[in-house]
Amino acid sequence: MLHPLEELRDSALSYITSAADEHVLEALRVQYLGRNGSIALWGEQMRALSKEERPIVGKLLNEARNAVTAALAETGERLRAANEANALADIDISLPGTVAELGALHPLTQMLDRAIAIFRRMGFALAEGPDVETEWYCFDALNTAPDHPARNEQDTFYLPDGRLLRTHTSTVQIHTMQQAPPPIRVIAPGAAFRRDEVDATHSAQFHQIEGLYVDEDVSVADLKGTLEFFLRELLGPETEIRFRPHYFPFTEPSFEIDVKSKALRGGEKWLELCGSGMVHPAVFEEVNRARGDEAYDAEKYTGFAFGMGMDRLAMILFDIPDIRLFAGNDLRFLRQFA
Amino acid sequence: MKFSVNWLRDFVEIPGSVEELADLLTFAGIEIEGIERRGLDLANVVVAQINASSQHPNADRLSVCEVDDGTNHQRQIVCGAKNYHVGDKVLVALPGAALPNGLKIKASKLRGVESQGMLCSPSELGISADSDGLLILSSEAQVGAPIGSLFPPDTVLDVEITPNRSDLLSYAGLAREIAALRGASFQLALPDKEQVKHLRHESVAISALRECPFYSARRIENVTVGPSPAWLRAKLESAGLRPINNIVDITNFVMLELGQPLHAFDADKLQGGLHVRLAVPHEKFFALDGRTYALSPDDLMIADETRAVGIAGVMGGEETGVTDTTRTILLESACFLPSSVRRTARTLNLPSDASYRFERGVDPAMTLRASQRAVHFICDIAGGRAAEFTAVAGDIPAPPADVALRYQRCERLLGISLPREEVDGALQNGGLSRVGETSDASTWKIPTYRPDLKREADLIEEVIRHHGINEVPGRNRSQFTPVTPADRSFDFESRLRQGLRARGFSEARTSALIPRETNGFAEEAVALRNPLSEDHVALRPSLLPGLLAALSRNIRSGAPSVRLFELGRIFAPPDAREERHLALLCSGQVRSALHWRGGESRRLDFFDLKGAAESLTSATLSFRRSERKGLALAAEILERETVIGFIGQLAGSHATKVGATSPVFVLEINVDAIVESLKRTVKFRELAKFPSVTRDIAMIVPEALTHREIEATLQNANEPLLGAVQLFDLFSGKEAANLGAGRKSLAYTLTYRDKNRTLTNDEVTVADNRIRERLKRELGAELRE
Repeated sequence: MLHPLEELRDSALSYITSAADEHVLEALRVQYLGRNGSIALWGEQMRALSKEERPIVGKLLNEARNAVTAALAETGERLRAANEANALADIDISLPGTVAELGALHPLTQMLDRAIAIFRRMGFALAEGPDVETEWYCFDALNTAPDHPARNEQDTFYLPDGRLLRTHTSTVQIHTMQQAPPPIRVIAPGAAFRRDEVDATHSAQFHQIEGLYVDEDVSVADLKGTLEFFLRELLGPETEIRFRPHYFPFTEPSFEIDVKSKALRGGEKWLELCGSGMVHPAVFEEVNRARGDEAYDAEKYTGFAFGMGMDRLAMILFDIPDIRLFAGNDLRFLRQFA
Repeated sequence: MKFSVNWLRDFVEIPGSVEELADLLTFAGIEIEGIERRGLDLANVVVAQINASSQHPNADRLSVCEVDDGTNHQRQIVCGAKNYHVGDKVLVALPGAALPNGLKIKASKLRGVESQGMLCSPSELGISADSDGLLILSSEAQVGAPIGSLFPPDTVLDVEITPNRSDLLSYAGLAREIAALRGASFQLALPDKEQVKHLRHESVAISALRECPFYSARRIENVTVGPSPAWLRAKLESAGLRPINNIVDITNFVMLELGQPLHAFDADKLQGGLHVRLAVPHEKFFALDGRTYALSPDDLMIADETRAVGIAGVMGGEETGVTDTTRTILLESACFLPSSVRRTARTLNLPSDASYRFERGVDPAMTLRASQRAVHFICDIAGGRAAEFTAVAGDIPAPPADVALRYQRCERLLGISLPREEVDGALQNGGLSRVGETSDASTWKIPTYRPDLKREADLIEEVIRHHGINEVPGRNRSQFTPVTPADRSFDFESRLRQGLRARGFSEARTSALIPRETNGFAEEAVALRNPLSEDHVALRPSLLPGLLAALSRNIRSGAPSVRLFELGRIFAPPDAREERHLALLCSGQVRSALHWRGGESRRLDFFDLKGAAESLTSATLSFRRSERKGLALAAEILERETVIGFIGQLAGSHATKVGATSPVFVLEINVDAIVESLKRTVKFRELAKFPSVTRDIAMIVPEALTHREIEATLQNANEPLLGAVQLFDLFSGKEAANLGAGRKSLAYTLTYRDKNRTLTNDEVTVADNRIRERLKRELGAELRE
């Protein structure tokens, strides 16, 4: 036969676990554990009990209190969880999320960033030079004397004072070598300008990355290794690369580099991406003259240089059909590359 | 330059396909820009004559023709065309022919009438889109001749010749290169040297031997000027030149063939001997193109005893040119200094086929041989009688200097090891001959047609061109490189870009070249001396003209919210000094679209832009009211005491010009001025251990009192417990109408804190009261409880 306390406990547990909501549960808590609750009343009755009964009832009372307390907590937790779930059940999680409107970086910036990151991993530092140059930096120092057939003033923008807008970033080669002796290992991203009719593939201003590496025993093999690694990092390991002999006044031998890759217009054609070559000894000689020393001793040092058009690369890589989109800065265009 | 492959075959055997030839040249550094196929080579398509034509018995639109295909066998062919007459010569596709459109011809019956072939329209032959009727041939066409005899098949290579390779600007030159690349021998079948030995130093004088080291003139009498024979016209046309008359055509032909430009004078119009001299001051010249040119004393002229008759290497004179009535010719073949011809052609803006070659360099060994070659054709074709001798002056320039090559240097530069025999073989194939040798080097005689081979590096390039660059294995030379100032700038700019992007600004990149008419901010811009288009006239002195143009375009395309920035160089007047600037622009709604959650719906304003500016740098920027042209509201931006840029609202008239319906806010700063602030290394400050207490103060003050003044009053109160001061509410203008005219209400949260203990309520109240009194006393603020 059960002790009345046990009966009280069992009936309390039964009411508590079947409580329908938190209000009922609170009423039950008051009913059993409140100041005048059933369990409290039992506690008061303890004093009237005999010495022998007291520990037995005391134990039963403790058990009942603990069991009721635990059941209240547990049921309360269950009811709150159910309420919460109920309250959230109707939320349509397919509604659009709230947005912080982010801006977009220009695709040319992204292209430059990608390329620069690769060269930096390869140990190239950055260099820069001005957009407004003298003829000496743009032509003479680069082995393109005034009567040189490759020197085309027609395609060059001039300022009234005779200075010009650089037609290539190769000018930075000269600045860099003037400022520091070998070894040199830099890339120079920057703008260049050509006096050219503007159309879908030509613009008055375009962007290049120039590279220069001068040290002892730098060879064509280093030029190839460097640019092959760069192009495969940029365009994927499957990229086919070919070097073609070409002519630039400031490199000898000179090469153009073509690539073919699925990532580039389906990989159907060879695309010309980069001009390159071994620094012409005449460039070293001119730099030495300007420096007033023999730091760039062409017998001791060799070097390679390269330049690639980033607008063209971005157009090919992102399937952009018209170079004028870059300067248009239409937000619908910019956000495509966000 | 365009090269007909058929013509090249006159000089060199071309095995394999044209694509193989194109590859061979491409990998030798001679870029093929295009391959164009010409002519038709269709089997079983021949010339036929229509001998009779009658109506088809069963079809109104068809006729039945009797044609002669040259086999003396009359063919009956059903035809749908109407544009022919009996007796016309046409092209017939005989059974077995396959036409370019895929049609295969066989004998068949058409509506019950037998048809043994097909008479062809231009479109069926792939000649043109014309499908209206038959292609009617000239009456001279030979019945039975294959179509290929009328449209000889040929391939034309468009070859990009780099400025260093003037030797390739002729058929003989390119053929010589092809032979060299294939290791084949090459012999130019030309007049032997005996024939050009009869030289006399008479009737020609040179007073500018530097500009013209050698000049030759050959007199040919009794010529008849007229059209060139068909073969010569065809050759010129295949190379893209227009035939003119036999004399001019011959000089052009020889120029294309051998690379030596020639000029024919009408000798009867010359007065006395020729004099090669520099132009005299203010000299004017009436050239063959019908225009008069003003010359400078740098320009080299050919003159007779009375006047100039040609601009050397560039263009002859109108008065002494060959005409239909010319009977006697003086044929010029000369050596001119490339830089002199180049300068004259550029200054006069008068490029010609001749100047193109002279300014790149013409093989001096060709001067007399080309002359002799042309004389031969003129006598042959125009019936001339050449003088026994050639009148000459000067000396043929010396051949290029010998060049030495060190084998070890070659290997070092190329990064591969090459057997000495291979190096020598490559150079010998290129026409060089070894004239000296040591254990580790050799000396080479350079052919007269390769003046570009001046030094060792040039020879090494020849070696790698022949060896093949793709044979060189790539090498990895990783190395450490210390950071440069440009690296720091780049990283700094990247941070700025990312920060602005996170604040909703998109990056624009506008041209450094701007139009003359801009949306302001471009006064005194340094103008280009030689602009090409209206859009690119001057160097931008500010980034704003470009950004405003971008805003205008975006408004036109319907963008409701525009936030743009640009980071780039500007060119400060008057000397185009370059500075790195950052410009921001915003206009329109805060959000570009409404969202179901609501959120702020208002126009972008001054404080959006100011907040963006303040987020750029950890340094504290301050803003000072100022005036600026084009801005309705303007403030200078200061970092410490230095003005680094400005911010403001575009004047209404300017905003209207760009099509803006919302106010436009702009900012431009010199970025270099804030780079320094980012170099500081941040140091840790202890985190607060004790709680802070906040008190709010709301006050009514005159409208003219600025937040800055209130803030300064609070911060200068010398209250050690007072920490941050934050404005959280503001009523002014119309919103504050109930406060009375010229008054506004502001509310601040003041935070009190001691880093070593918890503050008591009482001591905060004491401090707060002191501050309240101070506000009343110093600012006349009316505090609201």
